[in-house]
Amino acid sequence: MITKLLEVFFLILTALMTTYLIRHFIFTLTVLKNAQKRKKAVTVENTTYQPTVSTLIPARNEEQVIGRILQRMTELTYPKDKMQIIVIDDASTDDTGKIVEEYAKNYSYIKVIHRTSKEWGKVKASALNAGLKYAKSEIVLCFDADYYSQADIIEKLVAEFVDPKVGAVQGRVTVLNEPQNIVTRLVALERVGGYRIDQQARDSLGLIPQLGGTAFAIRRKLLESLGGWDESILAEDTDLTFRVYLAGYKVRYVNDAECYEEAVENWRAYWKQRCRWAKGHMQCAFKHSLKVLKSNNLLLKKKIDGLLLLNVYFMPILIWISWIISVLLFFSKPPQWLNALLTTIPLSFYSFVGNFAPFFEVGMGAYLDGRTRACWLIPLLIFMFLYNIVICTKAFTDLLTSKIFGKHTITWDKTVHSGSGNSYIMK
Amino acid sequence: MIPPPTSTTLITLCFGVLIFIFIMFLPALLELKKPKDAGPRMILNDVAVLQQLQIVQKIPIANMEEDLRFDQTVVKKIANVIAMLPNLET
Repeated sequence: MITKLLEVFFLILTALMTTYLIRHFIFTLTVLKNAQKRKKAVTVENTTYQPTVSTLIPARNEEQVIGRILQRMTELTYPKDKMQIIVIDDASTDDTGKIVEEYAKNYSYIKVIHRTSKEWGKVKASALNAGLKYAKSEIVLCFDADYYSQADIIEKLVAEFVDPKVGAVQGRVTVLNEPQNIVTRLVALERVGGYRIDQQARDSLGLIPQLGGTAFAIRRKLLESLGGWDESILAEDTDLTFRVYLAGYKVRYVNDAECYEEAVENWRAYWKQRCRWAKGHMQCAFKHSLKVLKSNNLLLKKKIDGLLLLNVYFMPILIWISWIISVLLFFSKPPQWLNALLTTIPLSFYSFVGNFAPFFEVGMGAYLDGRTRACWLIPLLIFMFLYNIVICTKAFTDLLTSKIFGKHTITWDKTVHSGSGNSYIMK
Repeated sequence: MIPPPTSTTLITLCFGVLIFIFIMFLPALLELKKPKDAGPRMILNDVAVLQQLQIVQKIPIANMEEDLRFDQTVVKKIANVIAMLPNLET
């Protein structure tokens, strides 16, 4: 009886993994098919739609990087009379506030909000909501303090808002400090797969491109009607993505609107960041899965993609469970072990080539970016994948603990930015 | 029926797996030891500026935040000068 149950569970898991695998194959093939098509580039010259834009930059102890992004904001090609930049100094204990004040003195469109340690909400969403109160423009843009954008990124992002059904637009994120060490190089590869293939394909197929929490724009009125950012969710970006879709709007992804980020520099920082993402995603899965299924605003393909996206951080956990079950089945049914082995092939295949951005996605993304040599590092992603299994399990355990015992373990482990990316900026 | 593996088969299998793993990671080790990848990928407008200026190599800049903290007057002077210059990116 138990063996039968294990078999059924194992088959369900295998089917689930295969679904993810097929989904990623479709994504990769879609981008590859569309690679030759050239979309007309949005440039400063051919931009006619120029709404007013408020840019929110939350910053807590970012003295190493805040000057870089503010300098870049002053270099943007978008008309300055249509720009408002709001920096939320989130109870910084270093010189972040002073640096921002200096810029605010010299540039009238830069405003700084200082939050005291009492006001500090401990999550990014809280700082963003504080900034949103001062935003007066039609479009709200968000950047993290460690980002460094193209000079014409605003033109490229806001161009999509010509379509009234577009609620939010996400730009591409590229790792700035990539050559620094093995962690930054592997994170850069993940980003290539995630943005160049995953996001691009979802946009092309009319599925659900995801807001990445930074380098994105959203209609202010829509954001306000949704009640701003949800401060109880660690992945406030994923949460916002689904709230935008459930409200009947869509999200677009613009691959040409590029922005540099400073990636985490060591395994410990990677652990903290991914653990936060995993917990946040799982919170979103609990919050939105049923709503997505019931929604009248979403087509069936969007519902399927939405559910797969929401539950992606559960997959690494299910993978190790599948491994255990396959071993149990192997020993409990010796005469049919060959069948069990054959069943594990798709599972093992996903396990070895699958991550949140599977290896073939990363490889294709790097190839399309003209970086074939970067593909040489792809086998090392298996270590990140194994690391992610542990991270997601820990995140899930934490969430369960907080649910069962009512213990508050949802805390925002902020990524520390050292400013190491400064040396890679071309001047 | 598959016959039970002999010790020779097992040794060959283990040896084969080790060689496979070595070959799989060899390119990655080579790239880590002597990186030839051009990363980080330059964002498009920076590529255009570089092509115009015919600058090929990356030039590390001084830490901007250090300057801001220690000598605000110099920063102000530079900012005033920059404000007067035409924007080359438009």
